[in-house]
Amino acid sequence: MDRDLHPRVPDPVVAEAEAHSGGHAGVAIYVKVAVILTVITALEFAVLYIRALTPIVVPLLLVMSAGKFALVVLFFMHLRYDSRVLSLVFVGPLLIAIGIVVALTTLTGAFLVYGR
Amino acid sequence: MATRIDTHPHPVAAHAEATGLVAWLTTVDHKRIGILYGVTAFVFLLVGGLEALLIRLQLALPHQRIVGAEFYNALFTMHGTTMIFLAVMPLNAMFFNYMIPLMIGARDVAFPRLNAFSYWVYLSGGIFINLSFLVGTPPDGGWFGYANLTTRPFSPGPSIDFWVIGLQVLGVSSVVASVNFAVTIMNMRAPGMTLMRMPLFVWMSLIVQFLVVLAFPIITVGLIFLMMDRFFGTHFFDVAAGADLHLWQHVFWAFGHPEVYILILPAFGIVSEVIPTFARKPLFGAPVMIYSGILIAFLGFGVWSHHMFASGMGPVADAAFSIATMLIAIPTGIKIFNWLATLWGGRIHVTTAFRFAAGILGVFTIGGLSGVMHASPPVDLQQTDSYFVVAHMHYVLIGGTLFGIFAGLYYWWPKMTGRLLDERLGRINFWTMFLGFNVAFFPQHFLGALGMPRRIYTYPADAGWTLWNFVSTAGAFVLGLGVALFLVNAALTMRRGARAAGDPWDGRTLEWRTSSPPPVHDFDQIPPVYSRDTFWREKYGDRHGRKPVPRPPMPEPHGIHLPAPSFWPIVAAVGILAAAVGALTHLALVVAGAAVTVVAIFAFALEHHGNPAHAHQVGELAVDHRKLAMWTFLGSECFFFGTLIATYLAYKGRNVVGPHPHEILNLPLTTLSTFDLLMSSLLMVLALAAAQRGDRTQTRLWLAGTVLFGVIFLGFQAWEFTEFVHEGLTLRTNLFGSTFFTLTGFHGGHVAIGVTWLTTLLILDLRGRLTVADALKVEVAGLYWHFVDIVWIAIFTLVYLIP
Repeated sequence: MDRDLHPRVPDPVVAEAEAHSGGHAGVAIYVKVAVILTVITALEFAVLYIRALTPIVVPLLLVMSAGKFALVVLFFMHLRYDSRVLSLVFVGPLLIAIGIVVALTTLTGAFLVYGR
Repeated sequence: MATRIDTHPHPVAAHAEATGLVAWLTTVDHKRIGILYGVTAFVFLLVGGLEALLIRLQLALPHQRIVGAEFYNALFTMHGTTMIFLAVMPLNAMFFNYMIPLMIGARDVAFPRLNAFSYWVYLSGGIFINLSFLVGTPPDGGWFGYANLTTRPFSPGPSIDFWVIGLQVLGVSSVVASVNFAVTIMNMRAPGMTLMRMPLFVWMSLIVQFLVVLAFPIITVGLIFLMMDRFFGTHFFDVAAGADLHLWQHVFWAFGHPEVYILILPAFGIVSEVIPTFARKPLFGAPVMIYSGILIAFLGFGVWSHHMFASGMGPVADAAFSIATMLIAIPTGIKIFNWLATLWGGRIHVTTAFRFAAGILGVFTIGGLSGVMHASPPVDLQQTDSYFVVAHMHYVLIGGTLFGIFAGLYYWWPKMTGRLLDERLGRINFWTMFLGFNVAFFPQHFLGALGMPRRIYTYPADAGWTLWNFVSTAGAFVLGLGVALFLVNAALTMRRGARAAGDPWDGRTLEWRTSSPPPVHDFDQIPPVYSRDTFWREKYGDRHGRKPVPRPPMPEPHGIHLPAPSFWPIVAAVGILAAAVGALTHLALVVAGAAVTVVAIFAFALEHHGNPAHAHQVGELAVDHRKLAMWTFLGSECFFFGTLIATYLAYKGRNVVGPHPHEILNLPLTTLSTFDLLMSSLLMVLALAAAQRGDRTQTRLWLAGTVLFGVIFLGFQAWEFTEFVHEGLTLRTNLFGSTFFTLTGFHGGHVAIGVTWLTTLLILDLRGRLTVADALKVEVAGLYWHFVDIVWIAIFTLVYLIP
């Protein structure tokens, strides 16, 4: 293979080595992530019962949820370790989809950014 | 088994492709599938054209009685639906199929059998919708299907059922095809073809694939809501239950406006190929043309509500969508000016293909400018639902898209058939269509300005609309004659047309580097790519006349592997068609159709399991095709679940009757099931790590654990649903029941698919058929599983936790 013509195709030797290691995080990292996910889930449940947090409970829950979402995507789905193209084809649509969710809920009056 | 052709010394000439009915039914060759798309779509173009001519005949004079009001409704509904989903999109798909692999220097698409599946499902959807004519109940709710006019109380009978189910079937075809082509373009480019060296048609096609992948799930969800209202008594569009009818319009147009760019961008790509070829100049400002296409697509997701200015959204929303709509004129204008700049100083060779491409510069610009007029809410309020809008959309979709398709037909016909179309007949063909089109649609601007509303089946003689309607009808028949002339040209030249050389137009891109028509394997040797106009540069060198130093061909030590034919794509599509027909006739047929589809999918998936020719699918981006496809699909799923979640949030608190969420949701139980699903993701990733290590014992253990945890989650959900039903909450109780069960039910369906998928892998492993080489299959299944997990993370917060 002409390496100049295939700049992004990995070297076969390196690729073979990566294939065996998976090119991803190790088991210890996975377990740590699972523990963090468990803790956040417990916190999500708990904050609902802490009266002092009532004014900020919605943003707090959204931040915790986003954190869990990101942990699964980055570590369990390996986006942190994989090709940036994969990040592009997922994160781009995800952001547009979130924009459309916000717009739809706003336009139907469920979440009013502005008055009608 | 894959067909194997040795590359040395001159491989392939001796290997002709099989012929006969079975060969076509089982073909996975992108060129044949392209031809199937083309022929089928052209038939539907004629059907849609016939519907249009009937509409114009009816309106030619006042008080006509050629068709009645109800059939007129069906005619404009089916004309729009047919032209958009069954004719224009598939005609574009013909070019995607036939030309993209040739233009990027590939031997086929990334997933040839999925490509065949997409075609057969498209055909099934087209047949299904048109079956409605045979049973006397064609859809009559407009191509936009506004709810609640299309709900059961206002549209009883099966007419809208044909439409709502047929479009879902077509959506499956479109999304599968688009994922396939997105992966093909990104990952199967010839050596040296960087993204910025891709031909403009390929670029515009890539953008369109992403538009389809992202926009179609939105309308799919809307169609699901409508279907559930019609079949299961939910309340998505039931105002008495608290529903907001704007929801349908938002969902429809959030798809509908990107759809406009899905239709037009391929034509822009074709023009960007045809003009440089016949001007014998490189495309002016090609990178800016690419960025403009991307910007059009991006902005296309933020302009949908300009279709709804008359619905009373308020000044802020009107202003936002107005500005976004006006902005989109900038990248579109860039394209027009760059085409003009390409022509400037060129040695123009005026062919029929060139005429159609140049025609677009004039007539599409008229449509574009009237579009900018609609971007202004006060102006739009005067024009909306008048014939001015009909004129605008046809200037875009005929003057832009259809002329682009005809430019492509005349340009690539020699490549596809090996014969040249007759240029003299082509010239008559162009001028007939150009004249007919303008005579048919330009007067409709006047009709709109004179106040003629859309979708009326007749009008009084004293309205002042008779003259322009008559002229418009005459033009429509001239346009129809023009299309017929193309058929005459095609029929005559197929038999005795001049034979086309490989490069009849002195082309610039890779498709002209192979014979006309191309051999079954496209290229004897995968060509290296030196620039965007690589073939031109090989022939004539750069602007200083320097030709690239020829690179040695890529070694292909294992010969050329072509995908083997398969029956399973058509079997799966027949199953889907049977299930769709069953939805309107008998439940048993739904079950039988679904069973056939499931069996076909399993057979499809396992057909080449263990075949070493399918093991290594790493492409130009150093990513496996299957993994890239899954991530692309997950992007699509973000829109699917995003629309479901948005609807839940939009309807939250609108219940007219209880039970309400806070009275019924069981938070401790759901926290537990959430924990269960999160832990299943841990087990899944451990299974993958074990599979990659080749540790079969642990792979089995963790896969089984993931399946078990998935089943437990489904058990939690079943228990929760049962409890809710006992407490009086069903799909039909109130808006909360409709939105909650639909959202969580579809999530549960995804979990069930994941459990089935992982169980299949587990069984393969237990039978010793899952080796370390199959780790990628575990990874792809795992990606799907984790995605289901993250969707639940969002649902848990937004539905259960947030008060």
